[in-house]
Amino acid sequence: MLTFEPYGNPTYFALLGVALLPLMIGLLYGKRSRLYETLISIFFLVLTFGGSKWTQGVALIIYILYEVVLTWGYAVYRKNHNSGPFFYLMVILAIAPLTIVKVTPAVENGQASLIGFLGISYLTFRAVQTIMETRDGTLKNYNLMTFLQFMLFFPTISSGPIDRYRRFEADYRSVPDREKYLGMLQKGIRYLFVGFLYKFILAYYFGTILMPKLQLMAMHSRGGFLDLSWPLIGYMYAYSADLFFDFAGYSLFAVGTSYIMGIETPMNFKQPWRSPNIKDFWNRWHITLSFWFRDFIYMRLVFWFMKHKIFKKPTTTANVTYIINMLVMGFWHGVTWYYITYGLFHGVALMVNDMWLRYKKKHRQSVPHNHFTQIFAIFLTANLVCFSFLIFSGILDKVWFQ
Amino acid sequence: MAKRLLRIFGPLILAAILVFAVLASPVTFGFKHISATRERQAAVSLSPNVLRGKHIKEAALSDGYVPFFGSSEWSRIDPMHPSVLAQKYHRDYRPFLLGARGTQSLTQFFVMQNIQGELRNKKAVFFISPQWFVKNGTRKDAFGFYYSQLQTAEWLTHYRHDAIDQYAAKRLLQMPAAQSDHFIYAALQRVAAGKSLTGYQRFYLQTRKNMLTQEDQFFSGINLPSQNLSRVNRQAKKLPTHYSYSALDQLGGQLGKQATGNNRFHISDKFYNQGLKQEIKTGSLKGFQKNLSYLKSPEYSDFQLVLDQFARLNTNVIFIIPPINQRWQRYTGLSETMLKQFDQKIHYQLQSQGFNNIIDLSDKGNVPYFMTDTIHPGWRGWLAIDQRVDPFLTKKQAQPHYKINDKFYDKQWQQLGPAQLTQYENETK
Repeated sequence: MLTFEPYGNPTYFALLGVALLPLMIGLLYGKRSRLYETLISIFFLVLTFGGSKWTQGVALIIYILYEVVLTWGYAVYRKNHNSGPFFYLMVILAIAPLTIVKVTPAVENGQASLIGFLGISYLTFRAVQTIMETRDGTLKNYNLMTFLQFMLFFPTISSGPIDRYRRFEADYRSVPDREKYLGMLQKGIRYLFVGFLYKFILAYYFGTILMPKLQLMAMHSRGGFLDLSWPLIGYMYAYSADLFFDFAGYSLFAVGTSYIMGIETPMNFKQPWRSPNIKDFWNRWHITLSFWFRDFIYMRLVFWFMKHKIFKKPTTTANVTYIINMLVMGFWHGVTWYYITYGLFHGVALMVNDMWLRYKKKHRQSVPHNHFTQIFAIFLTANLVCFSFLIFSGILDKVWFQ
Repeated sequence: MAKRLLRIFGPLILAAILVFAVLASPVTFGFKHISATRERQAAVSLSPNVLRGKHIKEAALSDGYVPFFGSSEWSRIDPMHPSVLAQKYHRDYRPFLLGARGTQSLTQFFVMQNIQGELRNKKAVFFISPQWFVKNGTRKDAFGFYYSQLQTAEWLTHYRHDAIDQYAAKRLLQMPAAQSDHFIYAALQRVAAGKSLTGYQRFYLQTRKNMLTQEDQFFSGINLPSQNLSRVNRQAKKLPTHYSYSALDQLGGQLGKQATGNNRFHISDKFYNQGLKQEIKTGSLKGFQKNLSYLKSPEYSDFQLVLDQFARLNTNVIFIIPPINQRWQRYTGLSETMLKQFDQKIHYQLQSQGFNNIIDLSDKGNVPYFMTDTIHPGWRGWLAIDQRVDPFLTKKQAQPHYKINDKFYDKQWQQLGPAQLTQYENETK
């Protein structure tokens, strides 16, 4: 039985092209066949989770049924009731499988959990968001079939981008007119090709060719101050480049494929390396994730703190929330010291960034602002981010403790 | 709309056609030439990409390099390593090292498939490791790691209907690697059943072979490891300018002594510290090879594939049978009788078919500084090998007369016990 990593090899893309062709023709003539879409979705899901990975497939099915019961049940309940504790319980239940999957390797010596499968995080984000928006009342007409399509939309199932239920629904229920769809096709094809460049050429060079060599060299040049060495610094940049091109490349495939299917899945990266500060960086890097965290963790915590008047000063509220928000993101990546340190690092960086911006505002006369400072800001931000990725990469764990 | 669609999909279709045309065409695109430096680098790189490929090997072997088939011993580069001696003393030949940890006869048989032109009527060196001949023969994952679709495709486009090809197909079908291409798998099944390939299969194999050949030309030279070449250069500096066996033998002894101070096995300190020190402390390795036998193994028939191939190509080949570090062998309890019987069995398979160039070092396990670690030659061992290999490659040799016997593909031979050897010899004459 064939089984594929999504967007992993030429055969996958060839199959994708063949499967999407009838769908394209349909959309060009103003028709959207839900049946056909469902069939190819199932086909690609089986390719991803079938064969030797069938245990993951079973885990996925059980997980989906579980989340359907929660979201659907809550939507029905919410029509007439609105209890806070019940809502919290639902959110906790929705996150529970993901938590188990993330904690298992940390307590079971690196063993993966049985209930895990590729993409469980991204599905959890979508489900939790559905519950939260149902509570807010912004999501009123929960539809089971749409929810399933939303969760199992195959182009984005393994690693996002994380779409929103209502945005997806609007696209899914309508058919773009021909002029608009041609524009989407054009973009979709371009995204796929830029994705090829990113993932199969640049990420391959940095990740498969450069990184192992630098890692070996870094391991050999241990012994100095904190075991730091030039190869380790080289590794930091190579890893950052690999992380970006690999993930941005994958995201372009996912967004490109969505566009060809007439769904405008949001973009995940927007030139992150030109951010002048760390806050702007998070508006440009893994955008759908950071916006999800902003909307469903950061903002909600801020409101809750303000409502209960926990902190006197609004700046304290913001700072505490930054730390909590980024720590949660760190834990989400996995329960290891380096992911958590990475989260903490970004929380602190956001805090310092705010402090600096306030200082700059107050002392507008004395702080220079020109072309040079702009470039310096971009340089500083990029290097700070690369340093945080050095922590994130886990190589320090190897250099220090192995 | 048609115009717009053409603008969108035109480049895509064009790109697809171009890629396919470039890959599937038999034309070479100026990648034929390989520089001398590159050949030197590849010859000692031990890179799996070079082993799996064709282009670099082919170029080097037609340029004065001689194939040295073997496995992990090639990575033991000290001043007396064949590559170092050949370079330092400007021999007429340079070894092209083929094999690394985990390559055994079956892998080498497929490696030979796409350098047939460079083997025909030429000379070669083949290093036999007794450790290959274990109960289950070659490991499936190791075989898979070195497996090359290109070599399989090439073999299938020129196979003949005889015992060698049928046996090779059957063996390959037992390996998970054979399933990496559905069509090749189907073709193998036909070969194993003694049927000829269908027209469609032949067409597919030809196209696939062209594509893989192009891929190999474009990519196999990328990222060629260079550490081994610098190691060879470094080691060469330790040698005296003029070759003298006695001086080198003495130097080998000295170097060996310097490098093996910290253990009672005369194993190089580096190797000992990395792989053995802890286990020796716990004593878990004492006597652990007491029941190990190299006498019954499918490897014997895989080895026959190699012999068969050499005979078909009329390659004059010299075989090396290494010893095992005796101090180590006594510690692990590996049976000396069994090793002697292994030697007899492999000698019979070689000599009864006319392979008479054998450097049998199996009794040299107790010579000081002959081995660099437990099973691999070093210093004086390499030198002893050189004593025979150098004249074999540089002087004119008598034509070999091979008489291949298909009985060595039978299970009976693979599983033949040491006591029955004489009886078998008489019965199967």
